[in-house]
Amino acid sequence: MPELQLKRGNVVKMEGLVSLRVKEGKVSIVGGLHEMGSKVAIPRAKSLPVEAESDAIIEYALGSGGKVEKLPGRTIPREWDVLVEEIIAKKPRVVLILGEVDTGKSFFSTYIANMLVRQNLRVAVVDGDAGQSDVGPPTTLGVVVVERPVVFLQEVQPHAAYFIGSMSPAGHILEFMVGIKRMVEHGLEKADVTVVNTAGWTAGGPGRALRLYEMELLKPDIIVALQRGKELEHLLKCMDQAKVRRISVSKQVRPRSRGDRTFLRELALSRYFEGAGRLVLDLRKVLLERCYFRTGEPVDLRSLGDASIVYAEKIPEGLFIVVSGELDDKKAQELKAKFRNLHILRSWDAKNVIVGLANSNNELVGLGVIDEVDYVREKLAVITPVKDASHIAAVQFGSMKITPGGKEIGTIKPGTF
Amino acid sequence: MTFEETELQRLVDEIIRLLEKYRDDPRALEIILSELKSLYRKVPIYPGIITMCLPMVVKSVDPTQLKDGDEVSLLMKDGRVLTGNVSGISQNEVKLKNCLESSGQRPCDEHAVQLKDLKEARLFTREILHREWPDLDFEE
Repeated sequence: MPELQLKRGNVVKMEGLVSLRVKEGKVSIVGGLHEMGSKVAIPRAKSLPVEAESDAIIEYALGSGGKVEKLPGRTIPREWDVLVEEIIAKKPRVVLILGEVDTGKSFFSTYIANMLVRQNLRVAVVDGDAGQSDVGPPTTLGVVVVERPVVFLQEVQPHAAYFIGSMSPAGHILEFMVGIKRMVEHGLEKADVTVVNTAGWTAGGPGRALRLYEMELLKPDIIVALQRGKELEHLLKCMDQAKVRRISVSKQVRPRSRGDRTFLRELALSRYFEGAGRLVLDLRKVLLERCYFRTGEPVDLRSLGDASIVYAEKIPEGLFIVVSGELDDKKAQELKAKFRNLHILRSWDAKNVIVGLANSNNELVGLGVIDEVDYVREKLAVITPVKDASHIAAVQFGSMKITPGGKEIGTIKPGTF
Repeated sequence: MTFEETELQRLVDEIIRLLEKYRDDPRALEIILSELKSLYRKVPIYPGIITMCLPMVVKSVDPTQLKDGDEVSLLMKDGRVLTGNVSGISQNEVKLKNCLESSGQRPCDEHAVQLKDLKEARLFTREILHREWPDLDFEE
């Protein structure tokens, strides 16, 4: 296995696929201290600087696309360390990181977490990006408690997660706000400092609303703005300037294409569903959340006079029906007139919809993909890595369709269920 | 309320703008409607993406840039609107096949339009989601 002999202060960039082992001395990776015997794997399409904190020897093995390159000096800007020193000195309860997409927020959050761990502080990192999730599977927000050096936050088992139901907060702002608040509360319970890594949607009406109300809700002690230029100033102008720290985006940050993002999401979902099985839930025993379905009064199907209707209930918004085929137009008009409004769900609409599975404390225990709804026998079959149906007390409907292999195959209109 | 909390408002604004802009061009409106229905069926949770895609369905272009097979509307200086598929282009004229006037009349199977008589050429693009956001154009 090839070796790298490093003098104290030397920096090398290791580009995945590469695995390394610290044979002698100490190195720092994303701020985390790695000593003799420590092993790190850097996946494809990721690269990280490795800094020698003492004279050190590193053994490494390159995989496909792997590369090692000596750098002239540190890549971590001095201003990052000034900020870390401030956090160590002041021990703020909540540090919120703002930045557009591809500004290195995840790397920066991990760096802060590792640097605080060095000071024996317990750090929680809340991941506020449901699409490019570092903590928990896509479609969720999550929180980890970091107690040892980490290279990627994905290495740490999430302490808690919250189901958003989509890869984007678009159309899910309320779920997002509840979720982020709950994840920060978990962080505050478990850690000295909670770092919130926000999603990169910072402009436009919904983007501004998200960021500003999130700020109002979470009351951060320090707001870190990662900027290339002045792209966050429209938000920062509305904030208490004493809390704002402006930091430049590292030149090492590589933008990801839309295709890369989709690939990474699908990879994360396919890994999540690896080894998943089929669970059948009894709709009479589980709560259904975020839906119209099963929130009304049952209606006798015979009174509706159409064989294609397999399920019906009266809800305040009108009549909710499930049809096994196309409903005759005349019948639809008749029902609409009688019940004021008609909400039609086709029996096959539910297939492949992603759902959150929660326990009796309404905490997410896992994700599922709907395989089948039996409206007559009142059963819901889901493909999920959760092994025991008795852990599932509630099902939360999402608005994405995926295969259990992780492939995104569609979205559904809000209000469908 | 101080912000638009969804992008639906922008989408409604965009639809109104397009309806007004192309009120003289029934073919453009028909294709915009068809694309709007398709976009809304495929990505109902992303009105922002629908808003981005919709104005790209009909684009005003330099007529000399047209290619054979392009689906177009040609607005003539005399007020007529001709729609069809480009079947030939030269320095002075554009030839259309399957040519229709906005009144619904078919002038002839192939119709040559002099560039000097042309006020505006509008190029139609179908399956806009597939072109702009292929990763969101899910198979149905």
